[in-house]
Amino acid sequence: MVSTPQLEPSQHKLADFIHRLEAGKALLQDSPLNVLEVVGILKSYGVVLDAYSNNLIYIANHQFLVFFPFFKYFNGEVNPGKLLKFLWHDRINYEYAEYCMKAMFWHGGGDLDTYLDSSEFLAAIEPVIQAKFKFNPLMLALHRAFPEFLPEQIRQLCYYSALGQFWRVMSDIFIDLSDRYDQGEIQSIPDVVEHILQGLVADANRPITYAVTLKRQVYDLLPPSANLTFLMDTAVPYVEAVFFRGTPFPGTISYNGQAYQIPMFQSDFAYGALYADPLPIGSAGIPPTLLMQDMRHYLPEYLLAVYRQGLRQEEDLKIQICQSFQKSMFCVTTAALQGLAPHPLTTNSIEEQKANRKYLEGWMNRFIPSRLLQVNR
Amino acid sequence: MLSFLVWFPLGGVLLLGVWPKSMDPKYARSVALGVAIALLVWTIYLAFLFNPGQITMQFGEFVPWITAIGLNYHLALDGLSLPLLVLNSLLTLIAIWSTDPEIERPRFYYALMLLLNSSVAGAFLAQDILLFFLFYELEIIPLYFLIAIWGGARRGYAATKFLLYTAFSGIVLLASFLGIVWLSGASSFAYEPLRAIIVGAADTPSGLSLKLQLILMVGILIGFGIKIPFFPLHTWLPDAHVEASTPVSVLLAGVLLKLGTYGLLRYGVGLLPDAWVYLSPWLAVWAAISALYGTSCAILQQDMKKVVAYASIAHMAFILLAAAASTELSMIAAVCQMVSHGLISGLLFLLVGVVYKKTGSRDMFFLRGLLNPERGLPLIGSMMILGVMASAGIPGMVGFISEFLTFRGSFPIFPVQTLFCMLATGLTAVYFLLMINRVFFGRLPDELDHIPSVQWSDRLPAAVLVALIFLLGIQPSFIVRWSETQIAALIPYHPRPPQITSVYQPDQHLTRNSIDVLAQSISIRAAD
Amino acid sequence: MVRRTGPRPAAYFNILMTILSCIHNTVAFQQVLKQPPQQLMFQWLQVADLNLSFAIEISPVSVGALELVTFISLLSQVYALGYLEKDWSISRFFGLMGFFEGALAGIAISDSLILSYALLEMLTLSTYLLVGFWYAQPLVVRASRDAFLTKRVGDIILLMGIVGLSSYGAGLTFSDLKVWSESIALPPLTEALLGLSLIAGPTGKCAQFPLNLWLDEAMEGPNPAGVMRNSVVVSMGAYVLIKLQPIFSLSPITSTALIMIGSLTAVGASLIAIAQVDIKRTLSHSTSAYLGLVFIAVGLGQVNIALSLLLTHAIAKALLFFSTGSIILSTNGQNITEMGGLWSRMPATTSAFVVGAASLVVILPMGFFRMMQQWLTGGWNMPLWLFVLLLFVNAASVINLTRIFRLVFLGSPQEKTRRAPEVQWLMALPMVTMTIAVLLFPLMPLKWSLWLSPIPSAVVFNQSSIPHAFPMMIAAGVIGFGIGWRMELRRALSRPTQFYLRLMQDLLAYDFYIDRIYEFTVVAVVRLASQFTTWLDQYIVDGLVNWVGKVTLLSGQGLKYGVSGQSQSYLLTIMVGISAILWLLLREDWPTIIDYWSTLWSTVLNQ
Repeated sequence: MVSTPQLEPSQHKLADFIHRLEAGKALLQDSPLNVLEVVGILKSYGVVLDAYSNNLIYIANHQFLVFFPFFKYFNGEVNPGKLLKFLWHDRINYEYAEYCMKAMFWHGGGDLDTYLDSSEFLAAIEPVIQAKFKFNPLMLALHRAFPEFLPEQIRQLCYYSALGQFWRVMSDIFIDLSDRYDQGEIQSIPDVVEHILQGLVADANRPITYAVTLKRQVYDLLPPSANLTFLMDTAVPYVEAVFFRGTPFPGTISYNGQAYQIPMFQSDFAYGALYADPLPIGSAGIPPTLLMQDMRHYLPEYLLAVYRQGLRQEEDLKIQICQSFQKSMFCVTTAALQGLAPHPLTTNSIEEQKANRKYLEGWMNRFIPSRLLQVNR
Repeated sequence: MLSFLVWFPLGGVLLLGVWPKSMDPKYARSVALGVAIALLVWTIYLAFLFNPGQITMQFGEFVPWITAIGLNYHLALDGLSLPLLVLNSLLTLIAIWSTDPEIERPRFYYALMLLLNSSVAGAFLAQDILLFFLFYELEIIPLYFLIAIWGGARRGYAATKFLLYTAFSGIVLLASFLGIVWLSGASSFAYEPLRAIIVGAADTPSGLSLKLQLILMVGILIGFGIKIPFFPLHTWLPDAHVEASTPVSVLLAGVLLKLGTYGLLRYGVGLLPDAWVYLSPWLAVWAAISALYGTSCAILQQDMKKVVAYASIAHMAFILLAAAASTELSMIAAVCQMVSHGLISGLLFLLVGVVYKKTGSRDMFFLRGLLNPERGLPLIGSMMILGVMASAGIPGMVGFISEFLTFRGSFPIFPVQTLFCMLATGLTAVYFLLMINRVFFGRLPDELDHIPSVQWSDRLPAAVLVALIFLLGIQPSFIVRWSETQIAALIPYHPRPPQITSVYQPDQHLTRNSIDVLAQSISIRAAD
Repeated sequence: MVRRTGPRPAAYFNILMTILSCIHNTVAFQQVLKQPPQQLMFQWLQVADLNLSFAIEISPVSVGALELVTFISLLSQVYALGYLEKDWSISRFFGLMGFFEGALAGIAISDSLILSYALLEMLTLSTYLLVGFWYAQPLVVRASRDAFLTKRVGDIILLMGIVGLSSYGAGLTFSDLKVWSESIALPPLTEALLGLSLIAGPTGKCAQFPLNLWLDEAMEGPNPAGVMRNSVVVSMGAYVLIKLQPIFSLSPITSTALIMIGSLTAVGASLIAIAQVDIKRTLSHSTSAYLGLVFIAVGLGQVNIALSLLLTHAIAKALLFFSTGSIILSTNGQNITEMGGLWSRMPATTSAFVVGAASLVVILPMGFFRMMQQWLTGGWNMPLWLFVLLLFVNAASVINLTRIFRLVFLGSPQEKTRRAPEVQWLMALPMVTMTIAVLLFPLMPLKWSLWLSPIPSAVVFNQSSIPHAFPMMIAAGVIGFGIGWRMELRRALSRPTQFYLRLMQDLLAYDFYIDRIYEFTVVAVVRLASQFTTWLDQYIVDGLVNWVGKVTLLSGQGLKYGVSGQSQSYLLTIMVGISAILWLLLREDWPTIIDYWSTLWSTVLNQ
């Protein structure tokens, strides 16, 4: 047997992580506690995502161009009991789902973004607008005076729907993961990554479509013919927009135009889930607090038991959740990195290894300011 | 009635003293707490019985003691001492409550706390100047031990410094007191007769001449000036505060400093009125310098406790200003300012204590972001903001009204000095805001990621003080009512004429009250 | 409880209360119009010769101001529900807004200087807390501190004035003050100083030079609070100023000072505003400029003009800030050079901006147009230079608003404005309501002449009225629009190449470097003083005392501080023993000693 030529060790700042990925491991260190934390948190995340996803799809389908959507978080079920609970704020914070949707919409990327600017799309929505506001001359006049107003709203609704469909899949993956963990099938972090990767791959080509029904007539807004798919048109832009770029939190970043704290180019944004500092969670001006609050209701008992061992027990639950959540997001990112790599990361071919190395080093540049080192501490 | 306040805590001391060593030390805490609660209840009961309309002393208790030298056990209460007594009982309870339950040598510690309470109460109640002096000296002993045994790293230094200063203060005071008694030809150390001799006979040869009064006044000023303390006699205080444990700091700032201002009012203004009036412009200047000095020292401090300590020096100076002006308004303001300072500085020291207990640091350049709701001290921080704002004189809290009365009462007499003091109050916001912004705002650093959680028992005493600060800030007549009538009696009967006279309604303002007081004192003389 | 649910009920409750008070005010306003003004007195504290009472005035002006406060507060609270929907500290925000609103409402109806002062201080505090809402953000930390301290400077000087006034025998209700000011004759210097100290408070509140910078920095706070701050909060400062006008009329120096402060700020802030790239900051400087006009009006004794200016400015600026908030939320930024092309996507936001801007300037017959018409044709005389200044401020304001409008709404969309859907209903509804209110505002009957009795100013300008003043004002607006429309716009990262232009632009963009001036004057003085005293304290006072202590008391025994054990117990024994020893020793020799001292003293004194 001839020894195959070996690739030189990487000189990158985060070379350790590159080697780790090349060896088929994950960005997050493998340890039983990490597995417990990641699976536990993804379980509750799955439950929350399920609610978020249902609501986003409900809004896209049933609150279409409704300008006073008082009950948009009620999923169509309005009764006094629910209203009271709602007023008492005993509810899921759907605002966070919309926040993610807006971030994704604002950052764009993928074919979905391109399609929304195409002439096909503009042609497709005009009849919808006319049908919706047939008896509302005020809105039609407004549409004429501000021609981009309604199209922009509909684009946003498309993102409502697209993110809802994306989260539908993710939620199922995470719940499934938790079930398999409970059955003892998931033992290590690479198992977790593998599970997520398989889930992503299985649905990679699932079409993303969106149609609204007005007066029994169905209007295709994202028709199947647009060829929008789950992985490339929602998952990848989502990871880019929410995991990497995000939006600056007013609680930690100054919006002052003259302070130039916010970069000029969207591609330079680094405020996403992989970069966010968990310590200010719970403070003012930190939107992910909403997500952490939602997840705390669905934590599995074994994870709560771990948190209760902390110095402050349940007092700093949101920060502890966020720390676990960040760990889990690095697992999801690992799965995405594996899935998007030009070749399998554990390949033996030197050429393929070189291509992978280039690909990984490119990604690692973006990880330098991220929380990668901290979550592995 | 009043003896209870002196002897009951001493009983507690005795009980703790004979306590068998084998007993669980946590009972010592319960005993101390029980005694403190009983004292507070009793003080409040007294306050209800107290008749604010009566000019003379109330609840007098007289037991002849060493008649040969004219020393008698004579206690009584008036509108000047009552608010301070309440403050003493309240802050003692709070100090005992906020003591670490795991403290070393608990029996000795709690016994000293009660002894301190007893001697301070005695000093506030004494109607015999030698008796006052005895209590005043007695109070030094427990405080010395409390700093020297349970203090911080440099406790020995701080305690010795404290001891030296206060010992000197005691010697000077004793000299002045003896001088007052002998020179005035009084037959005993009893306060009221003494005052009647001096005040009632200023224009007759038998009283103390201005020259004598001035000489004696120097002793009084230095003696109490150390205790309060004023610049440049203050250097023991920041050290003592920094080294003392939290409950001791609370008592020191909240009650013990008041012994000095109380003495100044009772024995300086009360017994040597001519000298007081003669010196008062310079006293007001002294107050302004002391206030500005404390303020500007506070700005650059790095230790939170030192900031509060220097702030304390600055705010105590306002009492001197008010006393110097000695108008009816300013004298009441002085009482309000004592109560307000007691509550606010007590609160601030308590909160700094909690911060120190939880984070292990008071360094303003290390602490940061403590308002973090999950891992910081958000409620403590919020109360700190309130306390700081109260100290800076934001309306709605007790600091504002006492400062406003002080300035309003002093301005007609000493406009320039008052304006400088107001400058100091404006600067209060500077150093306290720097402290709040550095310590509580910003991101919690990673080194402070492991602050243990705060218990309700840590927050309760501070919350009580916050409530009182608001209550008295919104309804200041609660303090004013107790003192108004009787404070007037302390005013020198021929006060300095105001530099500002009201042109509008000249017959009605400012002068009227002094005329009233004059008339009053004349009628008292006639009665004698 | 809250741990499991969330903070929103607090917000709903606050909004409900504001709605109730808004309704109550509307009803009350209708009633008040039919009645003469009333005064309600509440005795607060009576001590010695000082009587502090809280007086409340119920008149069309005060209830009208109250209505304005609750109305704008209600709108900005609903707006905040949308703007801060992702913020978990929303209950703290609403609590502070409630506090804020309470203090503002109190000032609106207060008829007592001491009460107004107390409420102004509460505004200072709540501004500090609201600006410091996002307390973990470094620039917020600085901004909140500066906002508090700057306002505090004004407040303390104001307090000095109040203490002075009260000491001169003035009662502290505004009506007493008026009577007092008519009957008193003080030395001119005292009158001037009193007046100047009373100006200081409103100068801080209204962000006038030299206390203007805080408003710029306060823009770090959340936008709904910014709406309040730039409309009603600054107005309340000026409102107190208007109420104090009788005192200013005592001394020509005070009136001149008001006019000077106002003029300086109006010109300076207008220029600064044009050089800003941050949308909130440029508008906040324009707020200072407009409040400068109010100062001028008060200085001239034109109280009714001052009030109309305040009202017109307040609602127009509130509208502009509503619009600003939705721009910020949809573009994730405040830098106007990075924006463009928003108009067709955001109808509510665009029309709010246009209507707000139009009613702030004199071109179209809206808010300020009507107001200026009144001012310039109402028989008021003003010197020519002041008129030129007004022309300039109008033109500069038009230039600035046109510039912002072009940068934000026109042109082609940039990266950050490419995807900008109109904001949700919770924000759009208040914005549209306000737009309609501003549009209808000129139709409102304002009978200032019936409600106010102006006091003649101490400064009298003997000048005939300027011919064609109003048409000239419109012309200035149109020219300003022309310049603003044609001027070259600076897009992101581009800088003027000419050296002097750059210098000028930096000078304006950084607010004439006023913060540096502070740094080298007031701040430096305080810092030096405290460095000096700290040094003195550490090395001289403490050192000297320690040295004396060591030399006199301890040198013999060779004791030092900090040596525990024997030395201290020794000292303590001395202490404990002192009193006991003294009287034990002296008991026998009592008469002797008395004799001794008294003879000694008498010989000393007899000589």
